[in-house]
Amino acid sequence: MNKLSARQIYFFLAFVAPVGKLVVLPARLAEYAGNDLWIPAAVQFLLQAAIVFCVLLLAKRNMSLFELLENTFGKAVAGIAVLLFGLFLLYAGLLPILEQKLFVQGVFYDTLPSLLAFTPFFLFAAYLCSKPLSSYGRVFDLLAPIAAAGLAGVLLFSAANADYGAVLPVGASGAEGLLRGTAYSFSWFFDSVLLLFFLGKFEYKKGMAWKGALCYLGGGAAVVFFLIVFYGIFEGTAINQLFAFTKTSKYFSGFTVLGRVDYLFIFALSLVMAFYCALPLSGAIESCVQVFGRRKYLPTLLAVGIGVLYFVFTWLFDYRFGDVMSAVSQKAFWVFPVFTVLLPALCLLLKRRRSHDRP
Amino acid sequence: MTARNFIKTIPMKLYLILLAIVLFSFFSNDFGLVDIQKTAIILAAGIDKSEKGFTLTAQIAVPKGSDRAQGGTSSVEISAEGETVSDCVSLIFGKTGWVPKLVFCDLIVLGEDAVKEDTVSYLNYFLRNEYMPDNCLLAVCEGKAEELISSKSAIDDASSLAIEKLFSDAAEKSGKVMTNTLKDFAIGYYGVSESSYLPFIRMTPQKGSQQAEGGSSGGGSGGSAGGSSGGGEEEQIYSAEETAIFLKGKMVGLLSAEQTLALSLLEGNVYAGTFTAKDGERPVTLTVLRNEGGVSLGMKGAPKAKLTVSVMARLCCRGTTAPIEDISSDAVSPEILESAKEVLTGYLNGLWEVCKQTKCDLLELKKSLYRSSLKKYGEWKDYLLDAVTPEIVAEVNTLK
Amino acid sequence: MKITGTLRKDLAALKKILPAEDILTFDFESEAGLAFTAVFADPITDKELLGEQVIRPLLRYEGAPTAEEVGKKLTSPEKRTETDLAKLSEEVLAGNPVLLFEGMDEAIIVGTKKVFVRAVAEPSTDVAVKGPREGFIEDVKINTSLVRRRLKTPELKIEFLNVGRRSKTYVAVCYLDGTSVQKTVDDIKKKLQEIDIDIIPDSSYLTHFLSSRPYSLLKQIGTTEKPDIFCAKIAEGRVGILVDGSPIALTAPYLLVEDFQSSEDYFVPPYRATFTRILRLLSLLVAIYLPAFYIAAQLFKLQLFPIKLLLTISGSIRDIPFSPSLEMLLVLFVLEVLNEASIRMPKYVGMALSVVGALVLGETAVSAGFVSTPAIIIIAFSGIGLYAVPNLIEQTSVLRLIMLLVAGSVGTYGIILVTAFLLLYLVTAENFGAPVLAPFSPVVGKDLKDSLIKYNLGSLPTRPQTIGSKNKRRLKHE
Repeated sequence: MNKLSARQIYFFLAFVAPVGKLVVLPARLAEYAGNDLWIPAAVQFLLQAAIVFCVLLLAKRNMSLFELLENTFGKAVAGIAVLLFGLFLLYAGLLPILEQKLFVQGVFYDTLPSLLAFTPFFLFAAYLCSKPLSSYGRVFDLLAPIAAAGLAGVLLFSAANADYGAVLPVGASGAEGLLRGTAYSFSWFFDSVLLLFFLGKFEYKKGMAWKGALCYLGGGAAVVFFLIVFYGIFEGTAINQLFAFTKTSKYFSGFTVLGRVDYLFIFALSLVMAFYCALPLSGAIESCVQVFGRRKYLPTLLAVGIGVLYFVFTWLFDYRFGDVMSAVSQKAFWVFPVFTVLLPALCLLLKRRRSHDRP
Repeated sequence: MTARNFIKTIPMKLYLILLAIVLFSFFSNDFGLVDIQKTAIILAAGIDKSEKGFTLTAQIAVPKGSDRAQGGTSSVEISAEGETVSDCVSLIFGKTGWVPKLVFCDLIVLGEDAVKEDTVSYLNYFLRNEYMPDNCLLAVCEGKAEELISSKSAIDDASSLAIEKLFSDAAEKSGKVMTNTLKDFAIGYYGVSESSYLPFIRMTPQKGSQQAEGGSSGGGSGGSAGGSSGGGEEEQIYSAEETAIFLKGKMVGLLSAEQTLALSLLEGNVYAGTFTAKDGERPVTLTVLRNEGGVSLGMKGAPKAKLTVSVMARLCCRGTTAPIEDISSDAVSPEILESAKEVLTGYLNGLWEVCKQTKCDLLELKKSLYRSSLKKYGEWKDYLLDAVTPEIVAEVNTLK
Repeated sequence: MKITGTLRKDLAALKKILPAEDILTFDFESEAGLAFTAVFADPITDKELLGEQVIRPLLRYEGAPTAEEVGKKLTSPEKRTETDLAKLSEEVLAGNPVLLFEGMDEAIIVGTKKVFVRAVAEPSTDVAVKGPREGFIEDVKINTSLVRRRLKTPELKIEFLNVGRRSKTYVAVCYLDGTSVQKTVDDIKKKLQEIDIDIIPDSSYLTHFLSSRPYSLLKQIGTTEKPDIFCAKIAEGRVGILVDGSPIALTAPYLLVEDFQSSEDYFVPPYRATFTRILRLLSLLVAIYLPAFYIAAQLFKLQLFPIKLLLTISGSIRDIPFSPSLEMLLVLFVLEVLNEASIRMPKYVGMALSVVGALVLGETAVSAGFVSTPAIIIIAFSGIGLYAVPNLIEQTSVLRLIMLLVAGSVGTYGIILVTAFLLLYLVTAENFGAPVLAPFSPVVGKDLKDSLIKYNLGSLPTRPQTIGSKNKRRLKHE
């Protein structure tokens, strides 16, 4: 359990990472780019796949992020940089958790419940975060088929109801729409940073970099297809459809007899999402563990602390999701490309060999 | 207790606290939520224009108790008037004490007055409501929606259930009705064509159906709740063969039953519909076995719309006596086929004319142009419907 | 304390250690005048055998007064000498008489224990329509013989340990040398030797000491009552533990998937086995989740019901005085009470109890308006589902209750989070180095062929990789 296998990394990239992009992002992309919503998403997936490729190449050096940075810049700078990445993950994790909260309140209840209904998530997140990051390997093994079945089920029930012509004409939103869509969707794409924290916890296998990038693109293709289906179903009203993946499948005609069977798949994806939302928090804790070492109660205390912190955040921003989203994904969108694209790519320039390995 | 022992027992203490919280919330059972026993399950809603603004009539399912022998679905209709639809919902809550839940609302009927202005203002509440199923059926009715929803159906326990039967898949495939949902109406409204359609419901009393005991199956609502009338109410039959067409949310025209069939045929929906042609001077009814249809827009030179309908039909009925040899054959003679073609062409022409007169882009020509060429759409979008000339092609084939 | 060679003194010392009234002595003298005393525990010693194999041959004894010579005269196949009085007293308590005689500083222990055993029969908890019908019984020696009969190989090692300060229970550790993981064998032996408890009445006591998470809700050691399953597991590389006095054998390491496999799966066509395994999983899921989802749907998310079902339920619960969650808890409570009572009751009363439970309580409660019919149907269905995987009943019934409480408190999202907790707990759990959720997490491709899906025997040439056996291949040639 101390190491992840290559397969588990692929599972994360192909099945778990795409799930976080199915809730609020489709409606936001429809708002920014209209019928071209799939183009910014495709661009983001291509960009992230390239960074995933770079990060997986870093895995060849068999060092953790901290060790990589320490090797080049020394302990102090490496510590600060890793903690900065950790802080970034805390920041990046806020939006998915608020999304998740809205999603839970909107989809799991017929009338809007209080925040208390979502509180157990923080217990779960704290418990999950107290586990070492390496235990995610087996979690990915388990989540991969659940996510695949969930997404396949939702797509199966949705695909026949879509008017695929709705995404035409390509480029209708113009360069401005496409750029806006791409820029404002950065906050949903931080998988490369998550992967950075897995460095040193798995061994590089031959061809892993391009296989990983392909897996990510595969997951991305499923999301892009979902976006097309989503727009094909809702067209101009798509911007009004929060929690996209729970909406598209309900038009399946068989439900008149069976009832809402699609909820099974929605619940499956929700299960995966609960893990995915806690992943940035685990990454943030891992940053502290890498810098300060795995002291006995450190991860547990940090997990509890972060759980409480996020509960407070969620409580504070309970009715201000729109403000948070506009601040994080629009006004300060540039933070994301810096941390998710630029810095991970620059990591390739770090020294290749450990200082003490050199002759 | 030493610090180490204290730390060791923390998980157990946490479990106990957690258990206590779960048990407390289980037995108190209160997250401000509304369970099944406090809920008014709204089956259908009718909206009318009123002096105050809006009148909402909700048909609420009433559980019959555990005695299954009664069968069917009981309902009660409750109306409320307010400045917005949301006000009306709150008033219904105030009148009944049940929290109205729209998650099972399968039908919204708009009164005739409501569709004379922008319909979407009447639907705003439903479009915004996260808990409203946007795949619910939407229709317009003659007169007031309140009267329709509160009426006593001759064929089902609740008026909404009887109306939903009119909008079944089978009915749609017969070409007798063009159904639409809240979502698709909104898509039409917010789309480039800004046009849509809704089935138009008419209500006629069933002859000799005076009810002995009175009230709707649920006993009516009566009292302050308003709603359906009391004893001696006549049973009603509903029909929705006509189709109301909308431009920018306003009803601008009404398609006849024939034009509704033409629209269905254009959409390629018809699998068991019938229409009547002539064999010489005598009427013959043909059954549509299979149908393909479509509208294409040609932009070479002057804009041209091609309306194509292709039908595979068989002889269903003659309005005259016939020898046994004729009855045993389903084949349609070339004369009848020619007549059928003329009939369908006539229906399609009628449909085109209504669309042209009302400027309703029901055939989604603008949408088609928008998807094929953004540039040409920019050039033509304001006067496309005036400029386009139709080419109507109706083909009728028979079993051979 | 050692034997002195003075019969009176040694006897007095032994009596001091064993003052119980059922510890008897029998004094006799040989024709040559040598004095013997047999010390034995009256209820558990076969006195007829003692007379036949020990006393009768010694009455005519004329040889030298040495343990070796005396021993040769005894016709019992089980005999050995011992000098330590404490050990001698243990043997007496185990039912093996001790023979003391004048002038010798050694005593002879004779194996004439009286064994009360029931016949080897089919276990009532694990019935097979096809396949062997033998089940373990309470005697460890018979149980080891049942194992030995199936594994006629010198590689089968059976090591006996005494566990329990007072009970001195025989515990047999069985494994295939070279196939089982030696570290697991050593770990198990070490854990067994470290047990410091007064008695071991049943094998279930040992599971607590063998588990890495003893307070865990979930099972950590495999159990079986059938020798064929026990041997199959040993052959896969697991270590088996038989405990004297218990018909339930233990196996380790334990994987969750084991409980979805039944011995019959290997005796029927693979498609049938696959079908029944999936059916078992679905039944288990229904048992755990159905009442919870039913409650969550009523309280928080009506849309989970189709409208017609909702109206039926709504009608049924209209006059029920309890909230839906309390109603379900009440019905579940009644079911558990009935279940508990019907297991403990004598059979003839049990039948009456079923009638009372099913007809009187159920029917009357519904007509009196205490509970609704759908609630009874849901709990009944869940109750049946629970028995599809009998080895997990204890765990699943608790999980069902947890799910029900959470569903009644937080609704569907609570159910999903508890499921997430459970999955996380399971994926991080290991038993003697084997991940509990394998071969699903971590995915072990080859082992998946005998998990929920069952391949043909020919497609399973290797032992489960999860167990970690070095001797990987079990099928040489297809």
